[in-house]
Amino acid sequence: TEGPPACPKGCDRCSEYNGCIKCKPKLFIFLERNDIRQIGVCLASCPMGYFGMRNPEGNNRCTQCKIDNCEACFNRNFCTKCKDGLYSHSGRCYVSCPPGQRTANETMEC
Amino acid sequence: LWCLLRPGAAGQGQSAAVCSPSCSCDEDGGADCSGRGLTAVPAGLSTFTYYLDLSMNNITELPAYVFKNFPYLEELRLAGNDLSFIHPEALSGLHQLKVLMLQNNQLKTVPSAALKNLHSLQSLRLDANHITAVPDDSFEDLQQLRHLWLDDNNLTEVPISSLRHQANLQALTLALNRILYIPDNAFANLTSLVVLHLHNNRIKEIGDNCFAGLVNLETLDLNFNNLMVFPRAIEALPKLKELGFHSNDIGSIPEGAFHNNPLLRTIHLYDNPLSFVGASAFQNLSDLHSLMLRGASMMQDFPILTWTNNLESLTLSGTKISSIPSDLCEDLKLLRTLDLSYNQIELLPSFHGCMRLQEISFQHNRIQQIDRDTFHGLSALRLLDLSRNEVRLIHRDAFLSLTALTNLDLSLNSLTVIPTSGLGSLSQLKLSGNPQMKNVLTAKNLPKLRSISVPYAYQCCAFVGCDSATSPSEEHDLKKSAGGEDVDRVSMIMHCSPSPGAFKPCEHLLGNWMIR
Repeated sequence: TEGPPACPKGCDRCSEYNGCIKCKPKLFIFLERNDIRQIGVCLASCPMGYFGMRNPEGNNRCTQCKIDNCEACFNRNFCTKCKDGLYSHSGRCYVSCPPGQRTANETMEC
Repeated sequence: LWCLLRPGAAGQGQSAAVCSPSCSCDEDGGADCSGRGLTAVPAGLSTFTYYLDLSMNNITELPAYVFKNFPYLEELRLAGNDLSFIHPEALSGLHQLKVLMLQNNQLKTVPSAALKNLHSLQSLRLDANHITAVPDDSFEDLQQLRHLWLDDNNLTEVPISSLRHQANLQALTLALNRILYIPDNAFANLTSLVVLHLHNNRIKEIGDNCFAGLVNLETLDLNFNNLMVFPRAIEALPKLKELGFHSNDIGSIPEGAFHNNPLLRTIHLYDNPLSFVGASAFQNLSDLHSLMLRGASMMQDFPILTWTNNLESLTLSGTKISSIPSDLCEDLKLLRTLDLSYNQIELLPSFHGCMRLQEISFQHNRIQQIDRDTFHGLSALRLLDLSRNEVRLIHRDAFLSLTALTNLDLSLNSLTVIPTSGLGSLSQLKLSGNPQMKNVLTAKNLPKLRSISVPYAYQCCAFVGCDSATSPSEEHDLKKSAGGEDVDRVSMIMHCSPSPGAFKPCEHLLGNWMIR
């Protein structure tokens, strides 16, 4: 179907089978897995483990973080929130701080 | 003390979390009120709420003290509303707030007054608004700020003054704005910055010292701008690992371009009208894994790659390079793909030291011969493209080592014969465009061959059997016996072109046509 009435919030174009195909400007499309299907959903911020990649053409998409033990990231290689109990340093997550780095327990940083 | 007061700790006694009818709340103090068509912050939420998601509603403004009942709030999501005004006292009392999401709203300026007193704030999202101005005092009190998103707004310059006190900032994006120029010392005090995104602006020029002070920067993204000159300012970035300036208007890469960036792993520089690349530009980059240079049309010298010894992929095409250093493989032992197509190379050295090579393309050069040791020892090579050269002579042992080769393209050369020893794994062979190659080919040494292109149609008879030459029953016997060793005419699952159909006029009437 075309057009907003039948499409979920934030969606400009959708299909019954794939959910949203094109989101409203400035929103991110996230492909939710539903068994073997992928359902398009439009979000203002991407879910845990993903970051929003913007581009001028407007097809902004949620893209997976590529950092171990990371819950939220700024880009593929820079983590902004490590899993509980881990220390962050320069955008990566550590069980214990690298040599030469002091631990700051209040902010869980090195 | 306050952590004892959080629901998770102190709230055991409460059977159900205090919540608003417009939200769903969990027992850890999280409240999800997103996408409910709200026009205001709902009442009835627990004072111990530490995570509040109000995104994707229709809230147009935040009045004063609207969050005064949430002293423990750590994450506030207001993305995707229609916020155009935030009262200076709207965020008062949020001393524990670490994450504030205001992206995808209608803000025209940074709400600097409202941000005051957010002393714990670490992540601030202001992307996808309509911000044209960043008041100098915008982030003054935000001494814990680590991550700042200002991308996808209408900024025409780098907000230098407002960033002046951000010594703890680690990640900043100013991408997708209208920035034209980066002045010297634009980021001078950002000594903790690790990531800087400036892609998709209109940057035409940058000061030679514009990145001064960024001593910890690891990622710099200048892609999709209008830079005409190589960004020499990267000399101030000793820790740089990832650099992108593809899709600009840069005409040349100077000598020693990256001499101050020894930790570089990736350099994205495609889609620039490069005409010249300094031979010494890419040396001493021992962490570089991939180098792709296309269309540097005036480049004549093969780049010096000493100590750039972890390169796994090298693409250098569309240049005037006419020779390859004979010691290339002494440095590039880890090379897996080598693409030197569309150059003016005449002689090939031995690639013996590049033992891990899997793919080689020398397409469209001026190579005339292949020696015995050119590809000696390349037992991992799967794909070799020598098409569009002037190869007349291939030493009979040239392919002996190539036991893993599956695709060999020798089309459009000057060959008369080709050696087949060593090509036991070959499945695709291209020989078309070698007009002097008129001899009948044999599949004898090519047991796995499945696709071949030959100069003349009749040569396909050796592979697929000509319609008029063999009766169906003969064809059947051939298929059955195809497993036998010394079968000259293998017609199993073989594709040969040009196929020798009855109506294909033979381009050459003499000699071999008589075999039909």
